[in-house]
Amino acid sequence: MKIDWLAAVLALAALAAIPLVFTSSYIIGVMTVAVCYGMWAASWDFMSGLTGRDNFGHSLFIGAGAYTAGFLNVEFGANPWWSLPAAPVIAVLFSLLMGFPTLRLRGPYFALAMLSAATVMQNLTIIFSVYTGGQDGLNGLFPILDSTLAYYYLTLAFLAASAVLLKALANSSWGVILRAIRGDEAACQAAGINVTFYKIVSLAISAAIAGLGGALYAHYQLQVGPDLFAVVLSINIIIMVYVGGIGSIYGPIAGAIFLNVLTETLRGLSEYRLWVYTLVLMLILFFLPQGIMAPLWQRLRARLA
Amino acid sequence: MMELLEVAGLNKHFGGVHAVKDVSFALPAGSITGVLGPNGAGKTTMFNLLTGFIRADSGSVRFDGCSLAGLAPHAIVNRGVARTFQLARPFTGMSVLENVQVACLAPRVRHRGKPRERANVLLAQVGLGERAQVEVDVLPYGDLRRLEIARALATSPKLLLLDEPFAGLGVTEVGPLAEVIRALHRSEGLTILIIEHKLREFMQLVRNVIAMDFGEVIAVGAPAEIVQNPRVIEAYLGTAPIDA
Repeated sequence: MKIDWLAAVLALAALAAIPLVFTSSYIIGVMTVAVCYGMWAASWDFMSGLTGRDNFGHSLFIGAGAYTAGFLNVEFGANPWWSLPAAPVIAVLFSLLMGFPTLRLRGPYFALAMLSAATVMQNLTIIFSVYTGGQDGLNGLFPILDSTLAYYYLTLAFLAASAVLLKALANSSWGVILRAIRGDEAACQAAGINVTFYKIVSLAISAAIAGLGGALYAHYQLQVGPDLFAVVLSINIIIMVYVGGIGSIYGPIAGAIFLNVLTETLRGLSEYRLWVYTLVLMLILFFLPQGIMAPLWQRLRARLA
Repeated sequence: MMELLEVAGLNKHFGGVHAVKDVSFALPAGSITGVLGPNGAGKTTMFNLLTGFIRADSGSVRFDGCSLAGLAPHAIVNRGVARTFQLARPFTGMSVLENVQVACLAPRVRHRGKPRERANVLLAQVGLGERAQVEVDVLPYGDLRRLEIARALATSPKLLLLDEPFAGLGVTEVGPLAEVIRALHRSEGLTILIIEHKLREFMQLVRNVIAMDFGEVIAVGAPAEIVQNPRVIEAYLGTAPIDA
């Protein structure tokens, strides 16, 4: 237990040190985005990794959070700090809207409904372009903090807080129940557990963190667009979770940061970039179906102990 | 004796199949009763109706003086009716201890001590004490049946429904498990309803038998009477050709 905390603190220190070592605004930008992805991957993992109920539309919550920040800021001229409490609230509303009808059912309904809802929202942002700016999105959000370095640290602090919260929940009896739902839902009911309640609340927690990440991302980009609802964003997050190690919370965060940094590193390869990236992904998922980050830490931990 | 469970006029259709037909019976508190019948007689469907996993078309189920109609499965468990499944259904990817811990988290029993500690006690009770840390995926089938019972007991039921607890067990495993069930009945005063096929162990275990065929209750009585009952024999062996 102690060793896990020590590793977490070291990892956080390393993330905090990166922009101090490579002092470029480009690196700060890459890392800020990577940290947002870390929040998205961890929140996906909390709901879907633990319960096994795949969510193919996590971007719904990300987009909801980001557009909340966009509307508040651009349309209503609100102080940008307001985005941080407002985005999770709106994302949670979306999660309840999705969870109540679909999480009562067994079968693929939840996964499909999430996929469709995110796509519908993406299209709605284009249809109602008068309010949403259509393809161009909403531009001219205010930065929350003037210094990009300070903003990176703010985002990192939110990632750390989310990770601690999600990991603590996953290790508690709440997490035991979520894993039991993954194991056998009917048997879980027979054990007296209201599985629908646990799934809906877990989705809401997942959505809150994804939405917060969406708002943080929006205030970094200073722009929100329909791509934040895109299926490809949801799929990328799922890939990051798998590469990191599903169900471990910390693995997906590491996976998200690793893959973000990898894509940036491969930028030099220009047109071969996606080719190499995809090849790396295929190799990882083929040879290490349990992911890299979490299993790697488990091995290291066994050796240290 | 007071009736713990009263079932009256229970019916369930699956399309054209009348799976459970006008089933009525009562279980006195502290009784141990068997449900006997050939495959497809509607025994498991009746269990599913009693535990809320399937909704009945008509009929009433009263438990401890309250109606169970329309309650969700987890709500029925929290009233004090626990069940096991015909095929063991462990929570895969978790340890034996965690499996039982889940049931210790049911609202009915949540505040009766630490879930982990309670789970350990229950595992010892069904003879799995030494396997607590083992992953369920590597557990032999006989132990999975014990785990199912421990998990059901964790919810501290007044009525325990066992769906073929001896199914798939070797000859040497049946006796000890029957002993576990008997001990539960004796020491905790648990009311038990068992579906079973393994006739010998079963008939020694139960005091009363409900025999079913084609969704109907065809006979009720002591084990010795039931095996002599012509309708039960007919259900199992078929009728003799009329002009033979």
